[in-house]
Amino acid sequence: MDRVAPQVVQIFGISVKDTVVSTWFMMLVVIGGVIIIRRFFPALLKRLIDFLGDTISDVMERPAKPYLPYLGALAIFVAIANVIGVVPIVATPTKDINTTAALAITVFFAVHVFGIRQKGVWGHIKSMAAPIGLFFLMLPLDIVGQLSRTLSLTLRLFGNVVSSELIVDVVYEVMPVIAPLPMIALGLFIGVLQAYIFTILATVFISLAVREDE
Amino acid sequence: MDSQMLITVVIIITSGIGILASTITLAIVEGRAVLKALEGMVRQPEVANRLFTSLIVGMALLETSAIYVILVISLLLGLLGG
Repeated sequence: MDRVAPQVVQIFGISVKDTVVSTWFMMLVVIGGVIIIRRFFPALLKRLIDFLGDTISDVMERPAKPYLPYLGALAIFVAIANVIGVVPIVATPTKDINTTAALAITVFFAVHVFGIRQKGVWGHIKSMAAPIGLFFLMLPLDIVGQLSRTLSLTLRLFGNVVSSELIVDVVYEVMPVIAPLPMIALGLFIGVLQAYIFTILATVFISLAVREDE
Repeated sequence: MDSQMLITVVIIITSGIGILASTITLAIVEGRAVLKALEGMVRQPEVANRLFTSLIVGMALLETSAIYVILVISLLLGLLGG
């Protein structure tokens, strides 16, 4: 079972976790892949961006253009991070709780950045404490809600990835030959699905922050 | 039986009960979700695609509760190297 937890490796005498190394590898893969795709199949890249933009604008019910760079990058990062574990000796980056916590914290700050850009500082604070008469009661409740949904985003992604890896590991110890393959396929499906859900939830949180109050 | 062994036995029994309770509850709840979605698809086949997408997203959100149970149990059993 030790294979599931992140291992510490030595690179030039500095100890880093192998999930960090695989995140660097993943960044190389993504950047190289985008350069190659843009050179040879530009229509494919345009279709991907159109799909992401349509999904985001369906959920937000407003033009997706200001939010597409952040949310699209989030979707592509999480999707590729969840499936890159099938490459041998590359650890899944999202099986480390620090990676998922970092992603959830970027969502936390993005909500406030987009909210302040839309309504200004005072307008954003006012919309967080929705009935303005109950200002000092609603503001702490909203802050607690935002912290808890950041924690829930972290644990959802981390738990899904770690549990699919645990299942593969358990089946591997029982019968190492063919039996883990369906579990790996299930893990790939769950990884892509969780990337979709992570992006949809981030979109919903941002759209709650930027919507106009009636 | 010393206290360390007692703690281990209690953790193992609790893990079994926790997994059992969460999977039973989740199976019932997800079954209801699938049932309602299938009824909607049969009644209005033109929105079947949107219903299917919502069903998949909703089921993944529901499964989060079982994932939390697995996380807690893995931490208790020391599987995550914590």
